[in-house]
Amino acid sequence: MSTLFLTDLLTPEASVSIIMPELVVALAGVIVMLYDSFFPKQRAVSGAISLIGLTVSAVILATMWGGGSPTSGWNGMIAHDNLRLSFSFVFLFVSAMTVLISTVWVDRENVPAGEYHALLLFATFGMMMMSAGNDLVVIFLGLETLSIATYVMAGLRRGDLKSNESAMKYFILGSFASAFLLYGMALIYGSTGSTNLTQIADKVANPNFPALLLIGGAMLIVGFGFKIAMAPFHVWTPDVYEGAPTPVTGFMAAGPKAAAFASFIRIFVLGLPLIAGVQSSVYLHDAWISALAVMAIITILVGNVAAIMQTNVKRMLAYSSIAHAGYALVGFIGAGMAKTAAARDEAIASVAFYMLTYAVTNMGAFAIVALLAEKNDRRAEFEDYNGIGFKSPVLAFSLSLFMLSLLGLPLTAGFMGKILVFRPALEAANPLVTGLVIVAVIGSAISAYYYLRLIVVMFFRERTSEWRQPKMPLAMSTALVIAILGVLYFGIFADRVIEKFAQSPSGVVVKAEK
Amino acid sequence: MDFLNENLLTILILLPVIGAVLTLAHQMFWKQEGQLKWLTLGFTTLNFVVSLALFSKSAVAGPSGYFFEKNVPWIKAIGTNYHIGVDGLSFWLVILTTFIMPIAVLSTWHAVDKKRTAFYIFLLLLESAMIGVFVSLDLLVFYLFFEASLVPMFFLIGIWGGDNRIYAAVKFFIFTAFGSLLMLVAIIALFFLYADQTGLGGSFDLIAIMNAMKVGTLVIPPQTGTLLFLAFALAFAIKVPLFPFHTWLPDAHTEAPTAGSVILAAVLLKMGTYGLMRFNFGLFPDQSKEWAWLFIALAIVGIIYGALVAMVQPDVKRLVAYSSVAHMGFVILGMFSFTEQGMQGALYTMLSHGVTTGALFLLVGFIYERRHTREITAFGGLSSPMPIYATIFVITTMASIGLPFLNGFVGEFLIMVGMFQSQVLAITTSVNWNIIATMFAGTGVIFAAVYLLWMVQRVFFGKVTVDKNKGLADLSWREIGLMIPLLFLMVYMGVFPKPFLARSESAIKAIQERVMHQAGGTVDHAEAKPPVSGDEHK
Repeated sequence: MSTLFLTDLLTPEASVSIIMPELVVALAGVIVMLYDSFFPKQRAVSGAISLIGLTVSAVILATMWGGGSPTSGWNGMIAHDNLRLSFSFVFLFVSAMTVLISTVWVDRENVPAGEYHALLLFATFGMMMMSAGNDLVVIFLGLETLSIATYVMAGLRRGDLKSNESAMKYFILGSFASAFLLYGMALIYGSTGSTNLTQIADKVANPNFPALLLIGGAMLIVGFGFKIAMAPFHVWTPDVYEGAPTPVTGFMAAGPKAAAFASFIRIFVLGLPLIAGVQSSVYLHDAWISALAVMAIITILVGNVAAIMQTNVKRMLAYSSIAHAGYALVGFIGAGMAKTAAARDEAIASVAFYMLTYAVTNMGAFAIVALLAEKNDRRAEFEDYNGIGFKSPVLAFSLSLFMLSLLGLPLTAGFMGKILVFRPALEAANPLVTGLVIVAVIGSAISAYYYLRLIVVMFFRERTSEWRQPKMPLAMSTALVIAILGVLYFGIFADRVIEKFAQSPSGVVVKAEK
Repeated sequence: MDFLNENLLTILILLPVIGAVLTLAHQMFWKQEGQLKWLTLGFTTLNFVVSLALFSKSAVAGPSGYFFEKNVPWIKAIGTNYHIGVDGLSFWLVILTTFIMPIAVLSTWHAVDKKRTAFYIFLLLLESAMIGVFVSLDLLVFYLFFEASLVPMFFLIGIWGGDNRIYAAVKFFIFTAFGSLLMLVAIIALFFLYADQTGLGGSFDLIAIMNAMKVGTLVIPPQTGTLLFLAFALAFAIKVPLFPFHTWLPDAHTEAPTAGSVILAAVLLKMGTYGLMRFNFGLFPDQSKEWAWLFIALAIVGIIYGALVAMVQPDVKRLVAYSSVAHMGFVILGMFSFTEQGMQGALYTMLSHGVTTGALFLLVGFIYERRHTREITAFGGLSSPMPIYATIFVITTMASIGLPFLNGFVGEFLIMVGMFQSQVLAITTSVNWNIIATMFAGTGVIFAAVYLLWMVQRVFFGKVTVDKNKGLADLSWREIGLMIPLLFLMVYMGVFPKPFLARSESAIKAIQERVMHQAGGTVDHAEAKPPVSGDEHK
């Protein structure tokens, strides 16, 4: 064992090509930072550099979608499979949209654009490492890179108390969650003797240390549960989302959440799998599946019921994002219950697709909320949307489309996403999981109330105060057009994307035995 | 001809969408809102004319026995196909939809004066969705249209409705969405049952699933079947609406603009009854039979309850809305009698209810435009200032009551004959419940006469009590013109029902036989039951 480790160290399998997309993003971040220190206050340029970096990374990512079998690099630390590719694609998309949406806000609030864009790119790099990491340490490093960047982004509006509160809350609670995560990882390392997920997956079969593994797994659930805003670890979400600048809120709801899902899925579905005929693995598997199923039920109910009572649009969207984490968990559990590797890959792809549809819709919705919010996010109450339906019809109808997509109405992206995550769960034919799907469906019905409320407010009420048409910068309209087309495209012609996401067979990369 | 055969239905679905896009474009480039009604009228009329091609004698049945069938893959990753087609059951409902639309558009001529662009766009999109519902043969595609029809109606009620419109619109949306979401779960569950048992991979195709049940490769376990049946039934029962899920209907009807009420009554409610007939009876024949008693009981409660509540309504529109609850109760009763007459009568009542209740809502709309009230007490003696209006109203009322030689009679008569002979209640008890059920349903006809005639008497006869009513203008040529086709149909359908019944006969017969004779795999079980439970009763 130790000699093997030594040889690994001496002859590192340093293949740069496999982490090219991540490198490009990180490099773009560095360039933005350097550029900003020499030529400060050039928002458009730093935004453009970020966009170029993200696009180049996406292009490289696309070429890597070979459809071959999964491989790994860096001594098995970096996985190269459909989970990584599809989730990374989601992150790049979210970040690019965030850059576009932020233009309005960066101008309005006079935020240091260079720093903002650099942080965003570093956060993206962290997310990509999280989905690529096949090793607990890499995953943790990715998570911390992401978290520290996001803590700062949440508090970028320095003069505003709410923003400060948001950043502080996020930081303290986030560090707490990271500690849980780290402790869990340590326990897992203690019980399996490895941080590599491939090796952990092999050792789960050993009946001698399930107890410690169980505790470690529970700690991980707490840590990731915080990151994806799963009940009962969701309490921070509304305050943080409300206080953070609107574009950052959109980013946090779509990006870091998807990243946490990526590692969460990789560790549990691929790292703690069910090994046929091994009692300890059955025990472990059952334990985390039922724990997650119960928490998913609570998440969906809490998110939807609490969202009904909100009077602030951002808070409503925060609770709705909790509910959506619950729906994505349904697909996650479906992946955990899958009987064949192919079914498992499809289920993982469906969760990635769900995150993509949620990202498209959510970024669109937040774009409009950001546009209407004015300085210091003043106008974000439901009342502020009174009767704007026919005063700004394009904005109002787009926002309605996004609400209907969040609700999961057919012909929108949200519907396809929901169908796809419910399918693997129903295929499992397990009473608890079927119950979970039914709760999810009832939750969607409840959610109709608050999503429709925004439409009701915009179209069915009269406006009493005056209304100034917001100015629409080019970047913002680009983002909106992308979001609208995305919602419709993923809703009607989802076929190709889903196929792509399931391509390139996944699985813990098995390194050649030495 | 081949092209038409394959694509006629798609054209019917797409034409209104094209109309909606053109409406938007017209408004963006010319900004002449006044012309939009002509554009919309043109498109809906065109759609009606095109839909008449469904009558074509040269149409041949497709591979699954449906006409104008088209089946192409849509989303392979999910396994859903764009599979559409019509048979005798959906045929008339499609025609009803395309027929009622131009009339609904005409009714908005002066009534809609704000945000006309959006109004006509929603109206056109609604038409597409409604046609889509009636022609889909793929469960997921059906669900898609079923849900899609909600959104335009939601906006129609919410923006152009009455004072309490927000409450009504949200209630309408949430009630229907709740039911249909559970149906979605059932649809996906069915997909996996099919995949598991046939080994062919999952399918959402109604025909494929029904065939697999017929040949026995797919046997739905009774318990699962009951749950799935109830999930489908709930979605449709809310839509019909069946007592006790009807509470959204009076609100929605009362608050909706006239055109919305007309479409709601004429077409949207039919989606529920159509869904029950097509999907519940087709997919779960055993359970349909097993649970028939419940639906029959609720239908009877609905008939009597709807009539009694209608009687005390002070608002004419609300009265008509409650009469809808009663009429739809008749439809459910006929369907669940599982006799050919009963089911034919149910379909016939669906059509005639569309015509008469649509007409009643139009008439209520006319008077509302003149007086901006619908309270019965605000009128009285209207027959002297508005003789033409009164005449048309009385004829329509008679049709709604079910006077012989008018359309309402045929359907209700068939339903009661069917229910009288029905065997379906005999399965579970030895009492002749079918006769008792028919008796109770019969009282509904009497009640209908009471509340409608009483309303007519209070509104039209006697002296003109309110001064404002003295100078009311009688119907304009446009208003008379749009009533004429409806009046014609009321008489024609009442006197000569044969062409209508003949077309739907084979489709109805097939459904009836499927339920009563060759249920999916558990026939013996179901037929062995009656003596056992009968013994228990003794």
